[in-house]
Amino acid sequence: MVVYSFYIFDRHTECVYVKSWMPAQSPGTAPVLSTSSDDAKLVFGTVFSLRNMVRKLGGDDDAFISYRTGQYKLHFYETPANLRFVMVTDTGSASMRNVLHQIYINLWVEYVVKNPLAPVEHKGGAGVNNELFELGLDQFIRGMM
Amino acid sequence: MAASKASRIGEETRIDKVNAELVTLTYGTIVAQLCKDFEDDYPEVNRQLDKMGYNIGLRLIEDYLAKSNTMKRCANFRETADMISRVGFKIFLNITPQVTNWTTDNNSFSLVFDENPFADFVELPDDGRAQNELWYSNILCGVLRGALEMVQMQVEAHFISDVLKGNDTTEMRVTLIRYIDDELPPEDD
Repeated sequence: MVVYSFYIFDRHTECVYVKSWMPAQSPGTAPVLSTSSDDAKLVFGTVFSLRNMVRKLGGDDDAFISYRTGQYKLHFYETPANLRFVMVTDTGSASMRNVLHQIYINLWVEYVVKNPLAPVEHKGGAGVNNELFELGLDQFIRGMM
Repeated sequence: MAASKASRIGEETRIDKVNAELVTLTYGTIVAQLCKDFEDDYPEVNRQLDKMGYNIGLRLIEDYLAKSNTMKRCANFRETADMISRVGFKIFLNITPQVTNWTTDNNSFSLVFDENPFADFVELPDDGRAQNELWYSNILCGVLRGALEMVQMQVEAHFISDVLKGNDTTEMRVTLIRYIDDELPPEDD
């Protein structure tokens, strides 16, 4: 299993964290998703629309979980506080919903929210980019690959 | 049904314990310091406590969601009230205030505190005003307001009685003002 990239969006729809595990040279196989801010916006627009459509069709309790293209699979998890986690992996991977939930519980809440000096709102990603979170996430993701 | 489910979550959630007296004394110190800083301007102390609580609530909700493993939203405000009492207060303060006095439109309820760990050992100052003006546990109102705002509920919360003031019960009134809509991404220009 390969994880290509990972995004966190806050309740103000702002992208507060991006990370990419793209191998440096990937001749044609990996999707050309970069982690520039434009892409983050596009990713958010996509998951936001899909989530709204899913709810419209399937009722308010229905959740948008993932979609798959020929090149990649995009996983989505949203907390009740409207924090959105997005992970892009290869097409063969199983559901990452649980993984995203674990990232929320064990990394986000522990290292970002509970850091008393980090701001509550993460304007421009402030406070998210701390060492423990970064390290924990990287280890967690590499452990799965 | 929903009530028993909430009780179970509240009971089963494992949480690190902390000495209750440490909490009581720490909180008491905060209130005492605020009274000193604002020269016994009790309405201002209430406001400050509420504000501190609000900032706590904004963060605490994430811990609540993580600990209680709540994956989805409450279906209605009644369920929310149950979860606040039986899960929220249970895991953070190990108390379960009663949820009563619903208004007919189901938008407003009371939390009646049979016990309040913040107020152990407390006697309000005998200056003739604190008894009327100071809401000692006002931080809790702010916590609820902050926490619920993060899950898209704008509420108003205030105490209407307190055993410290000689009332029979300690009662907080919580009123739902509105559900907050999802924020939309900014339009591209």
